[in-house]
Amino acid sequence: MNEFITVYSAETMRRLRSRIFIVGVLLGAVGIGLIIKLPTYMDTVMNQANRVALAGDAALVSQAEPLLRKDYHVVRTMPGKTTVAPSDLTDTKKISAIIVLRRAGHAMSVAVYARDPGNITVSSLRRDLLPISMQVATGLPRTELAKAMKLPVTVHATNSKFGTAAQANDARIIAYIMLFSLYILIMINSQLIMSSVAEEKTSRIAEMLVASVNPSALLSGKIAASATLAIVQMIIWIAIGFILGGHPGAPPALDAADASRATTFSLSNVSAGDIAGFAAFFLLGYLQVSTMFAAVGSLVNRTEDLGALAGPLVIPIVAAFLIAMTALGAPNTPVVIITSFVPLIAPFVMFARIVVSDVPAWQIAVSLAINIVATYAIAVLAGKIYRVGMLLYGRPPKLSQIWSVIRS
Amino acid sequence: MRAVRDVSFSIAAGSTFGLLGPNGAGKTTTMRMIVGIYMPDGGSIQWKDAPIDTRMRRRFGYLPEERGLYGRMDVREQIAFFGRLHGLVEPDVSTRTDRWIENLELNEYAKRPCAELSKGNQQKVQIACAAVHNPELLVLDEPFTGLDPVNADMLLATLRELKRNGTTLILSSHQMWQLEQLCDNFCIITGGENRASGTLAQLRGAWTTRVIRIEPASPAVRGVLDRVPGARSLPGEEGELLYEVPAGTELPVILRDLVAVEAVTRFEAIEPSLHDIYIRTIEGAA
Repeated sequence: MNEFITVYSAETMRRLRSRIFIVGVLLGAVGIGLIIKLPTYMDTVMNQANRVALAGDAALVSQAEPLLRKDYHVVRTMPGKTTVAPSDLTDTKKISAIIVLRRAGHAMSVAVYARDPGNITVSSLRRDLLPISMQVATGLPRTELAKAMKLPVTVHATNSKFGTAAQANDARIIAYIMLFSLYILIMINSQLIMSSVAEEKTSRIAEMLVASVNPSALLSGKIAASATLAIVQMIIWIAIGFILGGHPGAPPALDAADASRATTFSLSNVSAGDIAGFAAFFLLGYLQVSTMFAAVGSLVNRTEDLGALAGPLVIPIVAAFLIAMTALGAPNTPVVIITSFVPLIAPFVMFARIVVSDVPAWQIAVSLAINIVATYAIAVLAGKIYRVGMLLYGRPPKLSQIWSVIRS
Repeated sequence: MRAVRDVSFSIAAGSTFGLLGPNGAGKTTTMRMIVGIYMPDGGSIQWKDAPIDTRMRRRFGYLPEERGLYGRMDVREQIAFFGRLHGLVEPDVSTRTDRWIENLELNEYAKRPCAELSKGNQQKVQIACAAVHNPELLVLDEPFTGLDPVNADMLLATLRELKRNGTTLILSSHQMWQLEQLCDNFCIITGGENRASGTLAQLRGAWTTRVIRIEPASPAVRGVLDRVPGARSLPGEEGELLYEVPAGTELPVILRDLVAVEAVTRFEAIEPSLHDIYIRTIEGAA
């Protein structure tokens, strides 16, 4: 136990002081900040592009203004002005387009004068102005038309943990961020463990270490230290997420309409169950992947060979991440359900399922059990490879040699 | 490939033991088995009449042939780390670390990362790492390799100090004179097998010939020596004669016969050095 603690604390301090850890935390924080704030920022940018003025028939302008607010920021109305000169646009830099509404008998026409026509979506204009167009064409009262156009559609959630579509959408975004963090943390820290093991081997300190410490204590101490730092990183990132996400980034307030359209979500929708699931599957996934990477690190003779050996290990992790992305949209398809029990893949997929759907408790329990057993089996095999690999110099071992070590 | 077979020796507690052999003889494998890096597939290794276990191994120290340190860790931290791995706790670990830094004259490097040190100083740090916990048994694989004469002498003095304090030492080296000065017992292995073992006196005792050096190199002296049964002339310096005679030859009888024919100015019986014994043993094995 003393050996484990000594290795653990030395490895923790060594990694904590390393530049790569500090840079990793900072870059991760910046990444989280970007993920959370970028949509808001983009929304602000889009709002700037969607600032329009309404002109033309006075009655139409007054009717159209509230309808267009859904997609545009109407900053100015010019009732009665049916002719637009280029100077009207250039004079006011705050406006990106002028929409002119005209009426001729039972027909209505729309002309758009835009700085950048790409910012104006014709289909959204048609959709927004359809009620007015219908009214002009049919002469029916607006209330009747609105009633006719408002087709009653009710969505009944029969198998969802969310009350509304907005909540479900929030959960998907949160799950996506957490999965992305899980993926980044596991990949970065596992590769750091692999480099650390390879460094000990190539610097030839391994022999002295193995003579001083039980290799199992050495390996487990390193992995535990790395896991601790990964958790520290994760806590820092989640804290940053809560700080930034807890105050949904409103764009620089243009007016009330802008605020209502800001693209935001709140991390306060994360449940305790989600966090527990994240923690449990993060630990399992982390232990599985990092022990494999450590074992592989012990087989290299030159740090330059790390990339080639790590490549095959990355494939299941990337596959797991992609399946988990699919699971966010279709958490109960057979492939997703089956893979949520498979070691290495389950930590990602089962976690995704937990966040976006109601996974039966027995499935979570079985997945946890399978993955705990798999983690133990991987640790035993990796320990064997590590013990032999650390002192194996010269040519890289053949697969048959590795197999015979595992069988011994 | 079988690296070691039928190697058997015992070491008295507190003594110093030299493990000799050419490259690839099995010395490193034997040492790795002693410190528990490799497990023998046959036979046993015991310490104080008991099989060596993990707890016992923590009281051992090991300096491997291949040198290595954490490059970015500073000297003091590195020595203390190995002390803690062997069960030392504060304040003991700090006291001992500082003492080793002092003894090996590493003070000015104590706070520097090991990667910045010269090879010789790195080796001194490694020796401190191996011995900081005051081990009962210290196994040193080629400890003098890479050290300049001054640092080699410093290491020699350090090892003598450890020996005085009761540490049992096992060393391998190709520097025979250093081993001869330091070790009480020797074992020569080659091809993974034990070829000769014992104290230097015992190894010399097993030597089948002796060499004598005589002056002057006159025909009368040569005539006496040529009549000794089994004697043969060896190439020597000008003005002296070197002869190899069977180990059981009565040297006083030869001296009396020489004095009778010539005014002998020098009559020296040369004991075989460890180097001679080593070379002869290795050649015999080949």
